[in-house]
Amino acid sequence: MIQMPMIQTPIIQTPMIQLNRVSRSFGDLLAVDQFSIGIPRGEIFGLLGPNGAGKSTLISLISGQLLPTSGSVLVNGLPPVSIAAKRQMGIAPQSLAVYEELSARDNLEFFGRLYGLNGAGLKSSCVKVLEFVGLSDRAADRVEHYSGGMKRRLNLAIALLHEPQVLLLDEPTVGVDPQSRNRLFESILALKAQGKTIVYTTHYMEEAEKLCDRVAIVEQGKLLALDSVDRLIRQHGGESLLSWSSAGVEQSIKTADPLSEIQRLLATGCDMSELSLARPNLEQVFLNLTGRHLRD
Amino acid sequence: MGVLMAMVVKDLKLLFRDKVTLFFIFGFPLLFAAFFGSIFSSGSSGSGMSVAVADLDQTTTSQLFVQSMDELDELRVERVEEAQARELTRKGKKTAYIILPKGFGQAYGSLFSGTPPEVIIGVDPSRKAEAGMLQGVMMKLGVKRFEQAFSNTDAMMDQLDMSLAALQDNPDMPADWKNLLNDYLPQMKQLVEQDGITSANDPGEPNDESTTDTSEGIGDALMPLKLLQEDVLVEKDGPTNAYSITMPQGMFWAIMGVVMGFGVALVQEKAQGTMTRLVVAPISRLQILGGKALGCFLALVLVLGVFFVLARVVFGVPIDYPQKVLFAVLSVATLFVGIMMFLAAIGKTERGMASVGWAVMMVFAMFGGGMIPLFAMPAWMISISNFSPVKWAILMFEGATWREFSYAEMLIPCSLMLVLGVVLFLAGSRLLRLES
Repeated sequence: MIQMPMIQTPIIQTPMIQLNRVSRSFGDLLAVDQFSIGIPRGEIFGLLGPNGAGKSTLISLISGQLLPTSGSVLVNGLPPVSIAAKRQMGIAPQSLAVYEELSARDNLEFFGRLYGLNGAGLKSSCVKVLEFVGLSDRAADRVEHYSGGMKRRLNLAIALLHEPQVLLLDEPTVGVDPQSRNRLFESILALKAQGKTIVYTTHYMEEAEKLCDRVAIVEQGKLLALDSVDRLIRQHGGESLLSWSSAGVEQSIKTADPLSEIQRLLATGCDMSELSLARPNLEQVFLNLTGRHLRD
Repeated sequence: MGVLMAMVVKDLKLLFRDKVTLFFIFGFPLLFAAFFGSIFSSGSSGSGMSVAVADLDQTTTSQLFVQSMDELDELRVERVEEAQARELTRKGKKTAYIILPKGFGQAYGSLFSGTPPEVIIGVDPSRKAEAGMLQGVMMKLGVKRFEQAFSNTDAMMDQLDMSLAALQDNPDMPADWKNLLNDYLPQMKQLVEQDGITSANDPGEPNDESTTDTSEGIGDALMPLKLLQEDVLVEKDGPTNAYSITMPQGMFWAIMGVVMGFGVALVQEKAQGTMTRLVVAPISRLQILGGKALGCFLALVLVLGVFFVLARVVFGVPIDYPQKVLFAVLSVATLFVGIMMFLAAIGKTERGMASVGWAVMMVFAMFGGGMIPLFAMPAWMISISNFSPVKWAILMFEGATWREFSYAEMLIPCSLMLVLGVVLFLAGSRLLRLES
């Protein structure tokens, strides 16, 4: 068992989302264990961990679907079960939460009405989000005829309909083709530019690296590490692997300072060709923190 | 209210877009009702009101009159003795009886004197439409006696002679009337004599019986017929129409289709994630479950309404009191909304809901009249059926139609259904977990 140091989470003034020593158990299973985080406004906050780590449970706690067994959750200073907090949140659940027998427009109009939108306002919101996710030309088609990527985009569109300040995206790219995936990434970055606070759960480290301002490494309901991607890698990723070919012989070396190491090797007159540098990544961070791979 | 209506509209759209569910709501129940209704129909082929006719006069005229009734599309005539005619109608085997009393033939031939021919019609007083129709049909036949009389010179001459004689013997007629008719009738006799009228049909035998009672005056003789209606208290052993039994049974299967459709959909929402959106949205748990309940309720009322219209229009099921039907429909719908919510709470998953739901509803159906009609059940089964909500639903549908329950008779069962429906809804709501 790897002993983890105490996580020092930075103090953030008036966080948009605050979890304070939150725990949630289901019978004997402790799904979330003393979780404390503060997410400032406008940040894309990643929850990275393998399947069963507790990411979706955290999303459920933040969204108010579940109440914590202990601790507290606040969204913009409000309990998430309050109507005011719910109006500020949009969720794209892991399972595709759409009515497949209805068209995209029918889905949007129904969910929009739950948030108090109606009439011309509802119609214009539907047009806007459909355009945002690139589904305008398929709005009248039944969702059952959509590809997986299109369904995921609609899943996101529904979450955006009422212009929430907080977006909870639970594994939004599962089962999505690369083109739709990139499209989703662009959409998410555009939402960040609009100042939205986004909680993004994933077990794909490349997504977390690409999108997230900060990443929380989660495993078995515990917060293992929390920081920006670069700092996490620097602190827990270990050394980079420098590889090169010299006189036909493959060589490699681990180093914490690859630039200095290259300079040193060149100074010794080493003939370096096919030089490559493999920086540590979040996968390595997770492995070093837990002794397991992300996809185990 | 906007949220509730949005949920209702969405759920109704989903329900009616599911072809399999639609088949079990409309297709199967209608096939069931039509198939078994046609099998158990009492051999009544063709249209027309079934009447028993007793000819007490037994003259050529009366027999021809009965024959003319037989030739009408509106009637299906069975010639029987008087006692049998009354019995058949009392037992509900015939819609009405028609009795031609002694003297009918003579009065039928008297145009300008005596009383109009009497016809006795016996019918259940609640069957106003049928009674009205019979009166119209009889009058139509009665008018023909004028056509027949005016088409035969000899008969016409005899009538006029009789009328003139009766006129002289009538002390009560006002003088100016008597003078007018003393002028008019001889002139008419002369006209008929001169121009003559060729007879196309046999007008019936000449009036050679004793003078009929003229105390009514000449004016009354010009009525086509004198209809005497007798009220018949009909003993109801069962419906007159087999579809009166099979349509309520079919309606139960339609109810089952709606209940299962909504129950499975409710549980499905949890599995497919849409319930997550509903829970996270700024609406209350009561609005979520209330929306589901209201959608199910409206679907039941709509479906049952369609079935009752089809029962009346297509299958001829008598529905004399639509208000009672509405009362029954609203009570039954409330009950089964509660059952739906409770089953969804117990079932928990789609498979669970489907299994538990079908098992429970099939048992209710078996003992509740969904398969064996209520009136055909043995005594021990009737005792058990009291515990089946299906029995009460079918009984109220039958009560609002052929059993003709009063409001007082419907009040307790319908109230119990309303209360039980609310209780089951509340219990199911408490048990149902919306969170996955």
